[in-house]
Amino acid sequence: MPYNIAMISDFFYPQPGGVESHIYHVATKLIDRGHRVIIITHAYGSPYPSRTGVRYLTNGLKVYHIPHWVVYRSATFPTVFSSFPILRQIFIREQIQIVHGHASLSNLCHEGLLHARTMSLQTVFTDHSLFGFGDAASIMANKLLKFSLSDVGHVICVSHTCKENTTLRASLNPLAVSVIPNAVVPSNFRPLQPQEAKALAQSDRSALLPPPPDPSKPVGPGDPITIVVISRLFYNKGTDLLISALPLLLQRHENLRFIIAGSGPQAIDLEQTLDSLPQQLVYTPSGQSRVVLLGSIRHEEVRDVMVRGHLLLSTSLTEAFGTVLVEAASCGLMTVATRVGGVPEVLPGNMIVFVLPEVEDVVRGVTEAVGLLTNKTVRRDKFHDLVKNMYSWSDIARRTERVYDLITGSPPALDNEGFYDEQWMHYGQPAHSPSFSLMDRLKRYFGCGVWAGKLFVIVVVVDYLIYCFLEIMYPREKIDICKTWPAPRARDSFDEDVANGYGAHGITKQRSRRRKDDIYNETG
Amino acid sequence: MPPTAPSTQLSSRASSIASRRAPLSRHESTQHLRPEDAIYHSPPRQRATSPLGRSDTVTAKRSNRDKRRGRSSSRRRNGKTGNNGQWKKLLWVKQSYPDNYTDEETFLDHLQRNPRLRPYEFWPLVADSTIIVQHVCSVVIFVCCFTGIFQERVSPQTVVGWATLCTVAGWVFRDYWQSRDTGDEGMGEEEADSPRSSEMEADFGVPFKEQSHGLTGGSSRTSKNHSRNHSVSSITLNGASGASSPINPSDPVALPPNGASFVQPYGSPPSYFSPRTQDRLTTAKSAILIYCSLLGLSPILKSLTLSTSSDSIWALSSWLMGINVFTFDYGAGPEAKFPASLSTNAALMASTVLASRLPSTTHVFSLTLFSIEVFGLFPVFRRHLRHYSWIGHLWLTVLLVVLASGGLSMTISGRGWGMGFLGVVAGGCICCLSMGLTSWWLIGLQRYKNEIHGPWDPARPVIRRHWD
Repeated sequence: MPYNIAMISDFFYPQPGGVESHIYHVATKLIDRGHRVIIITHAYGSPYPSRTGVRYLTNGLKVYHIPHWVVYRSATFPTVFSSFPILRQIFIREQIQIVHGHASLSNLCHEGLLHARTMSLQTVFTDHSLFGFGDAASIMANKLLKFSLSDVGHVICVSHTCKENTTLRASLNPLAVSVIPNAVVPSNFRPLQPQEAKALAQSDRSALLPPPPDPSKPVGPGDPITIVVISRLFYNKGTDLLISALPLLLQRHENLRFIIAGSGPQAIDLEQTLDSLPQQLVYTPSGQSRVVLLGSIRHEEVRDVMVRGHLLLSTSLTEAFGTVLVEAASCGLMTVATRVGGVPEVLPGNMIVFVLPEVEDVVRGVTEAVGLLTNKTVRRDKFHDLVKNMYSWSDIARRTERVYDLITGSPPALDNEGFYDEQWMHYGQPAHSPSFSLMDRLKRYFGCGVWAGKLFVIVVVVDYLIYCFLEIMYPREKIDICKTWPAPRARDSFDEDVANGYGAHGITKQRSRRRKDDIYNETG
Repeated sequence: MPPTAPSTQLSSRASSIASRRAPLSRHESTQHLRPEDAIYHSPPRQRATSPLGRSDTVTAKRSNRDKRRGRSSSRRRNGKTGNNGQWKKLLWVKQSYPDNYTDEETFLDHLQRNPRLRPYEFWPLVADSTIIVQHVCSVVIFVCCFTGIFQERVSPQTVVGWATLCTVAGWVFRDYWQSRDTGDEGMGEEEADSPRSSEMEADFGVPFKEQSHGLTGGSSRTSKNHSRNHSVSSITLNGASGASSPINPSDPVALPPNGASFVQPYGSPPSYFSPRTQDRLTTAKSAILIYCSLLGLSPILKSLTLSTSSDSIWALSSWLMGINVFTFDYGAGPEAKFPASLSTNAALMASTVLASRLPSTTHVFSLTLFSIEVFGLFPVFRRHLRHYSWIGHLWLTVLLVVLASGGLSMTISGRGWGMGFLGVVAGGCICCLSMGLTSWWLIGLQRYKNEIHGPWDPARPVIRRHWD
C-alpha cells in the first residue's frame, strides 16, 4: 500500500555528501513506487546556496527547510522540544504515516523520531556511520542513540558491520535491524566511452593529468598505471598511511602515476612529503609530475577523474560502507582498500585487493593489483555491468519499502513478494506490534539506564504534555491538508527487473536518467 | 551497554580470556570475512549459545537452512549466489534472505570484550596507594603547619628551619643515589650529573634550565630514557609485578653520557669543574636566587590580599589544595620533567594567598619557602626515593602518616602531645583501613569493566615515517 513518508535529517542538499545523496535517491525511487515522500531538513544559508521554506525537487519531491540554528557541520543545535510545533504541523498537513530519520549525528532526526512516536506515527531510522565505544564523545552519542532508538519501529544499517555496531550501541533486538546498503547511479559512473576520450583530452586539465586509459585494452608490462585516490584528507581517512606509502610506491614501481583528489587538514602534510622527495622520484624523465594533487572536487567530477585511472587506492581507517569503492568499480577501476569496517562486504574479490592498515601491506596490495592488471587476469571492462547488477537505487527502495511493510504489518507489494520464501515472510516481525500507549513507551525508556532512564522518562512526559497543549491550541481540524502532487503520467520502463510488479499497482514512474545538476530545477 | 553485560560476568578475567580466544580459534587472523568466503563454503562453525547470550533473539536454525537450500536458487532473480543458499556476510550478493536476517553464527563474530584487561591484585594495589597517602599527608602537614603559624603556636622559623634541613638532607641523598646509579652503569665516569638541577628549576621556571640542558646533552638523553622506561613500569604498576619493582638500578638501555659534556655551549671556555660539580653549583645558585627573590617579594605578598576577607581566602585555598591533590601526577617517575604543573601551581598559589594572612614579613617568607619545599621539591625527592629504595619509601610513608595524623589531631584539639599520640593511633588505623578497603573496592569494581572492540573501531595505521 502506498505510504506517506517523511524523511527527516539535518543533512540534505545543497550540502554534498553520502547521506544526502542516499536520502535523495531513496526518496525519488520511493515516489516512483507510488509513495508520497517529503523531506524535512533545516534551512541552509552560507556557505551553501540559500534554501528556506518549501521547495520541490524533481519528481515532485517536496523539501521542507525548517528554520533552525546550525552549530557544527550543519548539525542543528540540540533543543529537544523546540521544533515540535512545526514538525507536528508538517506531519498533519502531509498526512504522514511513517517518519524515517537518517544519520545518528543529526539532531533534527532524533527530534523528529521522538515527536513522531508521541504522535503515534511509525518510525524508521537509518544509521550511516560507525562509532566506537571508548571515548567520551562516543559514549554521549551512544546514550542519545539509545534514547532515540529505544522506541523506534525499525532500524536500517548500511552494512553488516554497521548493524553489529548499531545493535550494540543502542541495545537493539538484531531482528529489528535491517541491512540495506547504499547504491550508485550506474549511469553517472560509466567507464570511459570511446567518443568521450577526445573531449576529455581537450579539457583544460588534460595537460596536467595522465591521459585516460582504454579499459578494454589490457595493460602492458611497462605501460604507465594511474592510481586514483579520492578521499578527504583527514586522519580517519588514513591520510598518514597514504603519505607514508606514496614514496615507497613511487620508488618500487617506475610506471606508477597518482591522481589525488580531495582536501582537508592533512593536505599540507602530503604536499610537504612530496616536496621533500628527490626530483627523479616525483617527476618522469619527460618532466611530468608523477603525483597530481587536484584539491577538492565536486561529486559530479568524480567520475571524470576516476576514468583516468586504472586503480583506486583507499586507505581509510574506518568506513561504514565505502561508496567510493562501488563508484570506482562502476567506472571500471580495480580497487585496493584497507580491510576496515564494512569495506570487505561491498565488492567481490576479483574487483578489490584488501590490505591491512600498514604501510608495508599497502605497498604489497598495490603491487599485487598492478600484477593482476598486467597479467590480464582482470577484465576491467566487465566491472560496470557487474556493479550495475549489484547495486541499484530502485532495489534499495524496494527493500526499504519492505521494512515499511514489516512495521505497519501490511502485505507487501506484488513485486516484493517473490523475493523470499514463505518462511521468511514474517521473519523478525514483532509478535505484538509495539504499543503506542504512553505507559508502554515510558517503560521502554525507563529501561535505558539508572539515571538516563529517569531523565528520558521526564523528557517523554514533557513531550507528551506539549503534544496535548498543541492539540488544544492548534487543533488538528484547523490545519489544512495539502494537496497531493499530481501523479506523473509518463511511464518508462528503465529498470526491467522491478518493472513487472508495477502494472498491477498502477504505479507510474518517470525517467530517472537525470543529471545531478537537474536536482534543483525549480517547479514551485 | 551491550546486552551481554550482566549475564556472562563470572569473572572479568575469565570472560576476557574467552573472548580473546574465540575469534582466534576460528580464524587465523582477526580479520574480517575474506572474499573467498563468497565462493567457497566457510567451514561449519559451532557455537554453543547465541552470541548475544539471550534467548529472545531467535535466529534461523540450521535445520531451516538445510531445508531451504534447494528451492531458493530457482527463485533468485540473479544467479550470483551460486548454488549454495547459505547466508553470507556480503552486500554485493543478492541473497534470498530477508534484510533483517541475523545469522546466529557470524553475528558479532569479531566482537572482543576486554582484550587488554589486566586484573588487579590486592597487595600491589595497596603498595601503590602509598603514593597517594604520602601526598595527601604532606598536604595535611602543610595545612597543619600553617594553622600552627597562624594561631602562633609554632614559630615560622622553626618550621622552615626543619624543612630546609630535611630538604638539604634529601638533596644529599638524591645526589648520592644519582652518583651510585651512574657508577653502577659501569661507565667509570662519576661526573655524570644529576638531573636534579633542571628539575628543581623546572618547578620555578628559572632560566638556568637552558644552560644545564645544553651542558649535559648525554645525561639528558639518559634521563629521557629513564622516564620512558619508568612510564612503562608505572603503567604496569598495577599489574602483576608486585611491589612495583622499585629498584632497577642497572638500566641496560641507558645511554652513556657522551664525552663532550665538559664543553659548554655557545663557545664558552671549558669549565674547570666537572659537570657534576658544575651542576651542584647551578643548584646552589638557583637556590640562593630563589631565596633572595622570595625575601624581596615577601612584603608584596604580605599585602597582596589585604582587601579580601579571610573567608574568601579559606575557601579559595581549600579549592586550590583540592585541585592540587586531584591533579597530582601520582604515576610520574623520578625523571619526569614537569609532572602535573597545574597541581604544583595550584598549591603554590594556595600557599601564597594563605601567606598573605600572616602578620609579618618573616612569617610570609617562611611559609612561602616552606610551601616551595613541600610542594615543589618534596615530590621530586619522593619520586626518587620510591625509585631507589622501596624500604625507605615505606618508612617515609609511615613517618608522614604519623606526622600528619599527630599534627592534625593536635591542631584540631588544640591540646598537647597526648592528643597527638591519640591522633597517631587513630590516623594509622584509618589510613590502613582505607588503603585496604579502597584497593578491595577497586578490584571489585573491575568486574564491571566492559570494553568492546570490533571491526567498527577505527584501525590504527602502522606507519613508517622516514623512508630510506
